[in-house]
Amino acid sequence: MSNLGQFDTDFYQSNYTIDNQEQSCNDSNAYGNLYGSGKILLKFIFRAYILSLFFLFSELGINFDHIWQKTLTVLNPLKPADGSIMNETDLTGPVLFCVALGATLLLAGKVQFGYVYGISAIGCLGIHALLNLMSSSGVSCGCVASVLGYCLLPMVILSSFAIFFSLQDAFGIVSALVIIGWCSLSASKIFISALDMEGQQLLIAYPCALFYGLFALLTVF
Amino acid sequence: MENMDDTSGSSFEDMGELHQRLREEEVDADAAAAEEEDGEFLGMKGFKGQLSRQVADQMWQAGKRQASRAFSLYANIDILRPYFDVEPAQVRSRLLESMIPIKMVNFPQKIAGELYGPLMLVFTLVAILLHGMKTSDTIIREGTLMGTAIGTCFGYWLGVSSFIYFLAYLCNAQITMLQMLALLGYGLFGHCIVLFITYNIHLHALFYLFWLLVGGLSTLRMVAVLVSRTVGPTQRLLLCGTLAALHMLFLLYLHFAYHKVVEGILDTLEGPNIPPMQRVPRDIPAALPAARIPATLLNATAKAVAVTLQSH
Repeated sequence: MSNLGQFDTDFYQSNYTIDNQEQSCNDSNAYGNLYGSGKILLKFIFRAYILSLFFLFSELGINFDHIWQKTLTVLNPLKPADGSIMNETDLTGPVLFCVALGATLLLAGKVQFGYVYGISAIGCLGIHALLNLMSSSGVSCGCVASVLGYCLLPMVILSSFAIFFSLQDAFGIVSALVIIGWCSLSASKIFISALDMEGQQLLIAYPCALFYGLFALLTVF
Repeated sequence: MENMDDTSGSSFEDMGELHQRLREEEVDADAAAAEEEDGEFLGMKGFKGQLSRQVADQMWQAGKRQASRAFSLYANIDILRPYFDVEPAQVRSRLLESMIPIKMVNFPQKIAGELYGPLMLVFTLVAILLHGMKTSDTIIREGTLMGTAIGTCFGYWLGVSSFIYFLAYLCNAQITMLQMLALLGYGLFGHCIVLFITYNIHLHALFYLFWLLVGGLSTLRMVAVLVSRTVGPTQRLLLCGTLAALHMLFLLYLHFAYHKVVEGILDTLEGPNIPPMQRVPRDIPAALPAARIPATLLNATAKAVAVTLQSH
């Protein structure tokens, strides 16, 4: 027993910075030493796994804080966007949102992953071509894909509504239109702040609205 | 813009260029090394080999230069850049003007040479068609809904523009291909309005009214512009008649190609009580000569059985 306590102390004095407040295994555990040591081992493995995931993500360049910041920017379309947030081409969030859209459509009974990926790819190419033609400086396809992917988040909300009730009535049409407007406003806001195209927000918002309208068609019908 | 440049160095385009450059340098280094190792070129040694190699290299470089120049000229999307330089107010005013015919035939009417508005209108028409097809549960057996809608709209815009441009060339009208594309593209604004309303309100009378009014106004606008740019009554008649016919008939086609199914569903849901499908009684033919049973006996038996079953 005392050896076990010793083991406990040695373990929690390691270099790991994980908070140990949930430590519950102690000598007063009524189920015996074996069960207690098993729990410690399990916690150790779990924490090591989380840490390794953390190191793996930072190795791959996946920064969850940035993803969260960009998501908050999208969710508030009226807040002015900072053009520098799109300096790095981050496709993790967009791919996550595309998978989430496909998953919510799947829960609503529609297996349309292929359509989601296909429309995303072709729409990105089209809007990339249009932005290159309309802006004084060019834009890379990765940045366009990143912005469009992040602004797909409200569409995921719409498709999660579609799980619980049909969107083919008046309420569904109105909510689809609102979500399309939300998505296209966010995307155009980020594009004009990054490409310095003040005064042309409507011209960029309209093709984005058509792009997100295709997703709304997938979701509603 | 610097804001949108990928400074992390992990963008595909940057890495692709880097790899391309490295590969080219390697290839050049290898070629130079190979040259230094042996002086042969296609079996010819010494001075002859070197001369042949130099000639071949020069020909290769010249060919490569020509091809890259042609590619950069025709595949360069930047040649379209001036046609997308528009302001929202300009697009709005051009959309409204596309519904207002101007009777000025003595002086060529101005046509805005831009492609943003027409392109967005074609895509809007595609979206409206898709919406109409989805609400009417149209099933396309050979192809997809999206492919059909895009093919129809872009085919009309590009095909009819080219055809009218060809006719304009024959009739000696003063119009360029870009202007024709812009004119016809903005003419689709009327089609978008009519289809958007009539795909949601299914009334034939309303459609015909809009077809004549809205479709007619946009057609008149295009006709007036073409008349002002063409000399000679025959030429004007040919050009403007063709355009008017194609434009109005396209709207009719778009409405009725995707409207029939909606009509069918409406009749089924809201029409008078339609009796269930009735089977037409047919006589049993004498198809079993081996059984040697006369047809009349068979038919009588069958009818008796049917009556008995019906009464139960």
